[in-house]
Amino acid sequence: MILAVLFANSEGNILVERFNGVPAEERLHWRSFLVKLGAENLKGVKNEELLVASHKSVYIVYTVLGDVSVYVVGKDAYDELALAEVIFVITSAVKDVCGKLPTERLFLDKYGRICLTLDEIIWQGYLENTDKDRIRRLVRLKPPTEF
Amino acid sequence: MAQPLVKKDDDRDDEADYSPFLGIEKGAVLQEARVFNDPQLDPRRCSQVITKLLYLLNQGETFTKVEATEVFFAVTKLFQSKDIGLRRMVYVMIKEISPSADEVVIIVTSSLMKDMTSKTDMYRANAIRVLCRITDGTLLTQIERYLKQAIVDKNPVVASAALVSGIHLLQTNPEIVKRWSNEVQEAVQSRAALVQFHALALLHQIRQNDRLAVNKLVSSLTKGSVRSPLAQCLLIRYSNQVIRESANTQAGDRPFYDFLEGCLRHKAEMVIFEAARAITEINGVTSRELTPAITVLQLFLSSSKPVLRFAAVRTLNKVAMTHPMAVTNCNIDMESLISDQNRSIATLAITTLLKTGNESSVDRLMKQITNFMSDIADEFKIVVVEAIRLLCLKFPLKHRALMNFLSNILREEGGFEYKKAIVDSIVILIRDIPEAKETGLLHLCEFIEDCEFTYLCTQILHFLGIEGPKTSDPSKYIRYIYNRVHLENATVRAAAVSTLAKFGAMVDTLKPRIFVLLRRCLFDNDDEVRDRATLYLNTLGGDGAVVQTGDDVKEFLFGSLDIPLVNLENSLKNYEPSEESFDINSVPREVKTQPLAEKKAPGKKPTDLGAPLAGPPSTADAYEKLLSSTPEFASFGKLFKSSAPVELTEAETEYAVNVVKHIFDAHAVFQYNCTNTIPEQLLENATVIVDASEAEEFAEVASKPLRSLPYDSPGQTFVAFEKPEGIPAVGKFSNMLRFIVKEVDPSTGEAEDDGVEDEYQLEDLEIVAADYMLKVGVSNFRNAWESMGADCERVDEYGLGPRESLAEAVNAVINLLGMQPCEGTEVVPKNSRSHTCLLSGVYICNVKVLVRLQFGLDGPKDVAMKLAVRSEDEAVSDAIHEIVASG
Repeated sequence: MILAVLFANSEGNILVERFNGVPAEERLHWRSFLVKLGAENLKGVKNEELLVASHKSVYIVYTVLGDVSVYVVGKDAYDELALAEVIFVITSAVKDVCGKLPTERLFLDKYGRICLTLDEIIWQGYLENTDKDRIRRLVRLKPPTEF
Repeated sequence: MAQPLVKKDDDRDDEADYSPFLGIEKGAVLQEARVFNDPQLDPRRCSQVITKLLYLLNQGETFTKVEATEVFFAVTKLFQSKDIGLRRMVYVMIKEISPSADEVVIIVTSSLMKDMTSKTDMYRANAIRVLCRITDGTLLTQIERYLKQAIVDKNPVVASAALVSGIHLLQTNPEIVKRWSNEVQEAVQSRAALVQFHALALLHQIRQNDRLAVNKLVSSLTKGSVRSPLAQCLLIRYSNQVIRESANTQAGDRPFYDFLEGCLRHKAEMVIFEAARAITEINGVTSRELTPAITVLQLFLSSSKPVLRFAAVRTLNKVAMTHPMAVTNCNIDMESLISDQNRSIATLAITTLLKTGNESSVDRLMKQITNFMSDIADEFKIVVVEAIRLLCLKFPLKHRALMNFLSNILREEGGFEYKKAIVDSIVILIRDIPEAKETGLLHLCEFIEDCEFTYLCTQILHFLGIEGPKTSDPSKYIRYIYNRVHLENATVRAAAVSTLAKFGAMVDTLKPRIFVLLRRCLFDNDDEVRDRATLYLNTLGGDGAVVQTGDDVKEFLFGSLDIPLVNLENSLKNYEPSEESFDINSVPREVKTQPLAEKKAPGKKPTDLGAPLAGPPSTADAYEKLLSSTPEFASFGKLFKSSAPVELTEAETEYAVNVVKHIFDAHAVFQYNCTNTIPEQLLENATVIVDASEAEEFAEVASKPLRSLPYDSPGQTFVAFEKPEGIPAVGKFSNMLRFIVKEVDPSTGEAEDDGVEDEYQLEDLEIVAADYMLKVGVSNFRNAWESMGADCERVDEYGLGPRESLAEAVNAVINLLGMQPCEGTEVVPKNSRSHTCLLSGVYICNVKVLVRLQFGLDGPKDVAMKLAVRSEDEAVSDAIHEIVASG
């Protein structure tokens, strides 16, 4: 299960936070844990360079994309490698939506489309689509090219 | 020229800072959502409002039920618009905000059903996802037909939408989803990679409880081609599961190993890694099977991708616990990871190296770790400290280097948990490695000179009081301890006074000087410190002369209260100041029965300073004291053995009762520990009526009732039996708890005057042969066996019949005999077909017994055993054989 996908700006403010199967009372804890993790480790990290951590049986893969940081949390089948795949799909799709590495402003300008993109990638904790071109078509309700 | 340029820059900055959602407020957005009801819909405007709603939701904002329902109704109106972009937003919005009430959901189902049967594929896919999100069992039956069609739809997006919906629906409506097996099976063969991935996941979930079906699924797919690496990873996991489950039934050929090994050459790193990890997780994997997996993991250690490095080192770390030798080859690569920028990787590398390193590499390793420690967070440091402790216990000769390392990091900055981990480690090393004692104590002394944690300070002082006087030069610790009296807060000062007193009691030559120091403490401004100083000055006696301290004083200073602190605390809270002083003998001595779940927690070696240092007496000593102080049992002589408590009630019943069997030479005493778990009741005059008709050799001689059993305050009642002297008599006893129950008013806590007699049936209890055997180990079994000689040896063979496993059979015999396993021989290696287990013990009348058990698998499950017994008395050797023969 992909437990959470979180986007934050460079100051640690949340831009997008989507949880699956995480009780409401634990969400705040996760949010602050992830933001702290990012603040401690993401400084000076290159764009899209993946960082990884584990907390008990939960894995976290996170990175920087332009002005925003991206965190993906998973457990069971979604271990560090599966999450690396998930975050790769997310970052390439977000870059695709923004046309370049997102600034915070650009990210917010494209907010609606980014929500749709995430909706195509992850559905209630499961990875659904992985190809950015296909995702781009799907958010416009166009069938995939190979079909 | 300059001015417009500046202006332009300013504009741009403003723009960059300005967030489209600046000052967004839920109430205002909900107002804006009214545009959804406009007769002339503006798709662009509607999309913007939905984006704002999504933004609020994604910030963790919650909507009340009324708000959600209102938005939901309004959003459903948007189905009227033909704008594609807006339609896509509507799908997301409905999924996000859908209220659970059926009557509300019904509003939107007809629109969605229409979309689900639409000719536009993308409408179909999205409508399926939304419907499955909001559906219930009844609606699902209605749309089931369409979903089954969708699973095998030509459009991969539609098929995936239906399959992923199936994965979710399986949780809520399993019986319906299970009917889709055929379609899902077909989808597994799909040419579209993602469809295959989703179909495989769903099919496995549908069949996960059917071992044969999973086996068949894996067999067929491992032969064919799986298109996506993701699906291949799933297949590896499922085959690993099959291997695990078949491990007990099949020996020799390992199914699917070749498949896993083949996957190590796959082009996707994800698949290679998954296969390598699966191989390392195989039960009883051999070195030969392990080698190719370790080789690829080793390559990943130097990958440029942090995720791969992390995954590899994490797996190797686990392998190091079971097969340290197999990981040694990776040590050089692992050492280079110590400086990895990602601290999780570096910590895993270090802890792995600490597990696999040999004695000669310790010094080099410590050097590397020293550089690394300064820039990692406390939680990582704690992991490293624990690994170092284990390493030191493994290579005690290296204690100097490792202890130095611990003392160095103890001086550096760090939080409480980290410091506590270091102090705990030093304490354990002092306790387990005698040569490390003096240096360790000095390190602790230096630490308390500048320690900001009161808890750690007092614990260390307490430890010093116990260990310091036993060293070659106890006087050198006094300065550190007495400094605390000057420099610290009252809690630490009081602890220091107690420690000084212990030195005074144990080291006669130091006594006069300790007296001087204690007298100075009489002027402390804290009551507790002064009281302690006064108490110790009076207790130690001798007026400061060099005289030997009496045993009773030592017992007072070093002995424990013999009372569980929780019980003492409860009793003190209940005590009301009156003419009658508090009587410590009134405190219940029995620890409250713990909930079952707590008991089942795996036993952890106590590392906390508090518990082991307090030097609690062994349970046996406590029982002996308790029984000898009870007049009814005082004449029974020396207690031979007390059993572990046996539960006589189920968990969470009204009254919790367990029993401890105390065996004397000619008597047996049952100690029933009772707890009343009903706050509204007070039990009085509780006693257990024992029926010993199935224990002919036992005759009841005494019974000690429990006067009062208030709520949640444990108490004991006893029943004593006479039995033939020195004979291991056995029998079965049935038990009934009889008492007078009185109602208690919960508001006042007062009990009514009148009570009613009542009874409560308890489980039966048995005295078995193992109750006459003391678990006493020997340090060298071979020597003990040979010196015992073969004079009283008895050897025989037994067939134990079909058993679950060899380990289970070994355990059963150990429990039957109640003896102490020696040299770790109670552990049976996995997959072994024969095993030797060595046991030692002392039988009633103090006869030493040694047992050598040789087990072998006879056929697939049958276990045969050869039992050789040596003892000081041939009758006892025969008795052991009888126990086994009749067990």
